[in-house]
Amino acid sequence: MSTSRIQPNTWLFLRLPSRSLKCLEIKPNTIIDVGKLGQFPSNLLLGRPYYHTYEILEKAADEAYSRLRIVTPDELNAEVAADEATPAESRAEPATPGVSDGASLPKAMEEAVVQELKNNRLTIDDASRQALSQEDIEQLKKSSAGKEIIDKILANHAGLDEKTVFSRAKYVLRKRSKYLKRFTVLPMDVGTLILYLHEKEPARILEMREETLGLIMAWSNMHGSHVESSADETSLGKLGTGRWLTVDETGGLLVAAMAERMDILHKYTDEEQFDHPPTNAESVQTEDVEMEDVSATLDGKSSTPASRHIPTPRDFPLPATSNTITLLHPAVQPNVSILKHFGYDSNSPNTDHPLHTHLKCLSWLQLLHPADDPTYRQPDTVPDPELFKWKSGKRGNYHKKQRRWQRCQAVVHDTQRGNFDGLIIASNMDPATILPHTIPLVRGGGHIVIYSPTIEPLVKIMDLYSKDRRAAYIQHLSKGETPSIDDFPLDPRLLLAPTLQTSRVREWQVLPGRTHPRMTSRGGSEGFVFTARRVLPVEGGVEARGNFTGKKRKGATNDAATPGGDIVDAGVGVGGA
Amino acid sequence: MSPFFETAATAEDGDLAILHLKRDTLTPITLRSTADDGYAEGAVTNTRFGSFPHSTLIGLEWGAQVRASKVDTGTRGRKGKQVRQDGVAVSMEETTTSPGQPAEPVAHLNNKRKSEELEPEARLEHPVPKKLRTASDRVDSTAVQRAAVATVTPLEAGSGFVHLLQPTPESWTSSLDHRTQVVYIPDYSYILQRIRAKPGQSIIEAGAGSGSFTHAAARAVFSGYPGSENPKKRKLGKVYSYEYHEPRVETLRKEINEHGLDDIVHLTHRDVCNDGFLLTTPDRPSPNANAIFLDLPAPWQALRHLTRIPFEEQVIATTTYLRKNGWTEIDMVEVHNRRMDVRREQVGLKNEGLRGVNASAATVDEAVFRLRDVEQKIGDFHASKIDRQLNAQANAAGAGGAVPNGSGRKVQSKADRLDKIKRDAEERKLYKEGNLVHRTETEVKTHTSYLVFATLPRAWNEDDERACAESWDVEAMMRGERSGGETKKA
Repeated sequence: MSTSRIQPNTWLFLRLPSRSLKCLEIKPNTIIDVGKLGQFPSNLLLGRPYYHTYEILEKAADEAYSRLRIVTPDELNAEVAADEATPAESRAEPATPGVSDGASLPKAMEEAVVQELKNNRLTIDDASRQALSQEDIEQLKKSSAGKEIIDKILANHAGLDEKTVFSRAKYVLRKRSKYLKRFTVLPMDVGTLILYLHEKEPARILEMREETLGLIMAWSNMHGSHVESSADETSLGKLGTGRWLTVDETGGLLVAAMAERMDILHKYTDEEQFDHPPTNAESVQTEDVEMEDVSATLDGKSSTPASRHIPTPRDFPLPATSNTITLLHPAVQPNVSILKHFGYDSNSPNTDHPLHTHLKCLSWLQLLHPADDPTYRQPDTVPDPELFKWKSGKRGNYHKKQRRWQRCQAVVHDTQRGNFDGLIIASNMDPATILPHTIPLVRGGGHIVIYSPTIEPLVKIMDLYSKDRRAAYIQHLSKGETPSIDDFPLDPRLLLAPTLQTSRVREWQVLPGRTHPRMTSRGGSEGFVFTARRVLPVEGGVEARGNFTGKKRKGATNDAATPGGDIVDAGVGVGGA
Repeated sequence: MSPFFETAATAEDGDLAILHLKRDTLTPITLRSTADDGYAEGAVTNTRFGSFPHSTLIGLEWGAQVRASKVDTGTRGRKGKQVRQDGVAVSMEETTTSPGQPAEPVAHLNNKRKSEELEPEARLEHPVPKKLRTASDRVDSTAVQRAAVATVTPLEAGSGFVHLLQPTPESWTSSLDHRTQVVYIPDYSYILQRIRAKPGQSIIEAGAGSGSFTHAAARAVFSGYPGSENPKKRKLGKVYSYEYHEPRVETLRKEINEHGLDDIVHLTHRDVCNDGFLLTTPDRPSPNANAIFLDLPAPWQALRHLTRIPFEEQVIATTTYLRKNGWTEIDMVEVHNRRMDVRREQVGLKNEGLRGVNASAATVDEAVFRLRDVEQKIGDFHASKIDRQLNAQANAAGAGGAVPNGSGRKVQSKADRLDKIKRDAEERKLYKEGNLVHRTETEVKTHTSYLVFATLPRAWNEDDERACAESWDVEAMMRGERSGGETKKA
């Protein structure tokens, strides 16, 4: 998909001067209303580049809406440079920035010295300092552009000269964000979506931050698989490659991020396609249940040999075998509403979208007790002769039920066979109850990543995999005992190097002489990530070896059980698998 | 095919594997069925947790735990240098060769060299502890016989193990010796997230260093190998990597080749500050990158899409440069990552004398109990002193008969008490007792780097605007005509 120009029927963000984000779907021939900034036709944005800042122009007398103008980056940066960047010019050039430090003071500081007498001691905080009344400003707003208003306001501020350089800069900035009718257009992507949702409804995405998502994606080794699974392999019932399991209760954000890394989030469209822009490319969407969308394009990369010839049905396609995300959900239907921003809607499926076949959803009931799930049970089969007597609607319904059942069967069996490359959890449920069912489904060396907005659930998991508990577990096994489920809800030997971490990004203000961390940032949950790798414990006894820093206990078979000594991380193992 | 992206179910000959010794101690190895480095077992990797002949690793499922084997590392120790020159992937750094070290008896247990090499001098040079000799000799006799024909079947050592893992950019980064400053995982994970790295993109990396970012970026953009079936004609992801330090380039080039990343990573030896980014091949002069990552001392000299900068001075210079050259969305951040330590904290008098615990009173009640106890003992002590005096007086008076001591309680000695606590501790489930607490791990990287992000918007001129205006007509709407569209409330 084109990444630099705005395409019709895509979601995007407008960032307003207040830095708040607006999320909208742009459709041709519609009006976009950005509140007090004004209204303009969507066609003025279509085809235009992302990341630019647009100014809403004054409405011409004979026109119904405003027009737009691209504010060039030079113009934008010149405004910043006008009051801030000048002193830094001396720094941009030298090859050794450090040298200039001792020799000459930065200009900002020189300026501060010259204007030493100017400080905020005598500042009068009073509305009377501004000669323009509220009515005047309102009048101005109707008649002139943002820039003129700001100039007038500044000119009429009696105390502006008394302000220090810094406070004047702040004042100008504040007025600018208030009166400039500008917005910046940002493309829809997982990163910006997080910023937007974090502002709007953080609970919906479990308060996940961008840096935390980065950690999750790195430590889960999330990536696409591009190995062709040959016809022989799939017919032999071998599992495909690049299969990932997730428990995502962030409304689909996690699935979106995973899909993005696997290259199955965006519809495959041609970059060049834009040169012949589709007028209104909305395809005719029918809710037919018959398999008549022969035109449905196939995702050839992953499609099984069978589906190369049979079109993918709209409603219940047979899932792909490789490069897939399997989503376990607690409700009857998965909540992946966020995926609509990327053109995937499970209610009105689009066969073009890779997620149509690459996202497999199943409920916990379907995984653990499939026999109790109505979808899993085979619907009655009707012989063909009788089927032909039916009305087409009834017949369609029958086929739909059959397809739904087939898909459910395929997904459930595929999931139960396990061997997933990794497991990512971001759930409201206690991870200690999720892991016993999911860890066995992960292949050896596979990655386990659990996200939690708060640390407590993960502390509990860390405790269940503590080295003391593992040593005790192994000791039970070596004695031939079955460790009690109360003491050991999870087999502590199955995860290697459990690690709990958190990342937090700190934003800085970069201005010459005033470079420091930002004064404010958002609080809320820190966001913690538990990572580990699934391992296969060896059968029989294993004894640790290493440099024991502590006292060595003689004769004990499980030396590693003693705390201290750097051996403990390597763990010990005695007993069968 | 790169082992970083796909691995078979089991580890095979020639595979790159990571031996996980303990957290943050990882050794990358290339599995070999044969090796000419003097071990009877063939290729062997020695670690602090024992020796691992590759024959015990090949064919195992990934993620398997592996026991150490008995390998004679002593007698062939002098060949170590030669091995390294040959470039055979055997880590000698962690070889435990100091003879007679009590913690490492197993390493010297057996001599399984080929019989013709078993010279008496060699044995003298590396004396084997005497009491172990008998056992080792017994094993030797069989081992040596087999060695004459082929390599020896390794015997399990009594202790030590590792886990065999598929390589990942994370495990590779953790295993790196620090040839240069490494871009650490919290930093690169955020960078790749922030620059919206996607499969099929091209990313330029200037200042490849030890290659940690290179591997992570390759994973992020990977969208297949050239030549393979590519029905959608999708762009193949590529990392264009530049490094001006020649030895580093050579090391990295070798690693990229060994890691099967040749088709994804394009490494160039060049100083981008002076020579820019254009590729040397005539047919494709510009990398056409979607994103650029600069990890350079003077990034503003080579500036494009994004930079990672260790010092504030550089940030200011860079930011100014960016602003002057039409970049927008300029942002500077630092990533603060902490790892958390979770443990059970045992507090209470019942822990007295145990290790790794806090043996102070856990509750007020416990404190009061202890105070009363002490008071009682002091009282008893004084009482018994008085009793003894009385006794003595009584005896002196010839009255006879013992006066009972103070309260009549048997006083438990401290040694008895500690002994009892220790015995009790054996029965206690310490792993689920105490307070479950967490704190930041003791070593924290409080600052790694400043990251500056910026975006260069697509250039736009009047011709573009005119073409667009033709495609997307607005005149009808401007006249107030609504063509079925509704107002979108943003």
